[in-house]
Amino acid sequence: MRKAADFVEVSHARPPDADAARDAASPEARPASSSAGRVATIARNAFREAVRDRVLYNLVLFVILLTAGAVFLGELSAAQEVKIIVDMGLSAMLLFGVFIAIFVGVGLVYKEIERRTLYAIFSKPVGRGEFLLGKYLGLCLTLAVNVAVMGLGVSLALLFVKGGWEPLALRIWPAVALILMELMVVVAVAILFSSFSSPALSALMTFAAFVIGHFSADLKAFAATLGSSGARLFFGALYYLLPNLSHYAYITDAAHGETPAPAAFAGAALYTVAYSAVLLAAATLVFSRRNFK
Amino acid sequence: MSDAAQNTDGLRVARARRVRDALLALVVLAGLASSAALSRGLASSRPAQLTERGDDSPYVSPEAARRMSLGFNGLAADWYWLRALQYVGGKVVAHEGELQLDDLSPLGLKQLAPLLDRATTLDPKFLAAYEYGAVVLSAFDHEAAVRLVEKGIRANPSEWRLRHHLGYIHWRRGEFAEAARVYEEGAGVAGAQPWMRMMSAQMQAQGGSRETAREIYARMMESDDETVRSLAASRIAQLDSLDERDAIRRVLAAFRERAGRCPQSWREVAQVLYAARVRLDRAGSPVDPTGVPYALEQQTCDVTLGRESRIPRR
Repeated sequence: MRKAADFVEVSHARPPDADAARDAASPEARPASSSAGRVATIARNAFREAVRDRVLYNLVLFVILLTAGAVFLGELSAAQEVKIIVDMGLSAMLLFGVFIAIFVGVGLVYKEIERRTLYAIFSKPVGRGEFLLGKYLGLCLTLAVNVAVMGLGVSLALLFVKGGWEPLALRIWPAVALILMELMVVVAVAILFSSFSSPALSALMTFAAFVIGHFSADLKAFAATLGSSGARLFFGALYYLLPNLSHYAYITDAAHGETPAPAAFAGAALYTVAYSAVLLAAATLVFSRRNFK
Repeated sequence: MSDAAQNTDGLRVARARRVRDALLALVVLAGLASSAALSRGLASSRPAQLTERGDDSPYVSPEAARRMSLGFNGLAADWYWLRALQYVGGKVVAHEGELQLDDLSPLGLKQLAPLLDRATTLDPKFLAAYEYGAVVLSAFDHEAAVRLVEKGIRANPSEWRLRHHLGYIHWRRGEFAEAARVYEEGAGVAGAQPWMRMMSAQMQAQGGSRETAREIYARMMESDDETVRSLAASRIAQLDSLDERDAIRRVLAAFRERAGRCPQSWREVAQVLYAARVRLDRAGSPVDPTGVPYALEQQTCDVTLGRESRIPRR
């Protein structure tokens, strides 16, 4: 009889998107004959791969952090434990999410090339754009699960600290949704860079984009102070070209029980769709020119 | 190879693995213990450096801290807030002698204003930091306290309570007209409590009176911060004690006028004190709000706080 450990070994030895290749090849994979079906298959397998790679294990660390915070901060914060738990919980959610988005995101394409599973996928009627979109959606699904579980953890920690009902347990959710949107943009950036660069360089550039994305307001202010109109134009263009992640920064407001205005929330959601579409389209353009022969 | 020999080999291998695991666990434990001991030894060899660090200026300017926080500004603000509390707490613990939260001037809290400034630049809606600054900073750095709370008002114009904190700062300095103006302004903010307008009138008419002080501290009892509430409770007890001591002095003066001498003990005036509604203990001595008997000063024929009293003396 095989031991459980053997199964674990087998599942590790499996190439990242072997499932996708198998699904695409199998006669049962009829729904995948449509473009949406093929994208969904790749997304499902990217999610499975992330789970198999124990990406969601970060939740354990998050729970420990939150529990320790909830227990000890009450003593130290002079009645500010609720604010600190929200700040800490949502910031950790963003930080962990950014790390997953960067480090898993840059490996999504590279691993397939490295392990040569890409050939099996592209020997089927799967477009390069479909492949990238599927990978993107798969990682976004992983991050959505991650963020949802963490959000639930923060809500429970708030109820625990207050020893009863705490309105913030519900009011943090728009900010949680905005964090997910921010992570979706970061994943798209990671996929764009990984479509033409090495994982290490892609990770570095994606992290730089995340940092600059939070400086965008300063970039605009800086552009306005410049004397030369050429420089003003350059920095102004850079401001619109780079991701503006300040649209999603509502963690501090959430800690004070404030929710974003519906227009701001909807605007951020539209920005996510538009900006991610731009990045994925650019990634597809680059990726479709790559020769894997 | 026979089954028995295979079993023996298997057992030997399993035993060897157990021994190896135990040895590795021992190395981990011994390593941790020795590194902890080394760390402790190294830290204790330079205590002077560590204590000096308490008054180090924060490395970055508030604006730079905000920029560098990358969307984690709330968390960074919490860090500065906790650092401010630890800074004050550390100084209080190191200090010998009686202290009140609203008069920590003997501690030389040079870094409190910069720390609170950073916390509120990173999170301009951090109301607790403004309140803490109003109560603690106003005792030794009036300008910094005013600057901090005015910054809070600019960032949160709809928060009427910040005007109450600013009014408190001016009241402490005896700037009653300015305090009245601030309270009046706060009363005009939507959602402000009706007592804000009353406070304005009271500041105008009798800014320095005990009634005004009592009203201010009664409002501070509504704070979320336990330390601020405890300060307010202690100041209210002090005001009660001042009223009681006035009543006792009147009784002592009347006795002296009638008998031509000071009472030998409280028992001689216990009944009159009781009639004047002063609280007495079983021995007939008047007690302060903390339950400690007042002392009778025979030479000056006056009443003072008992040595054990927890009522603030300043």
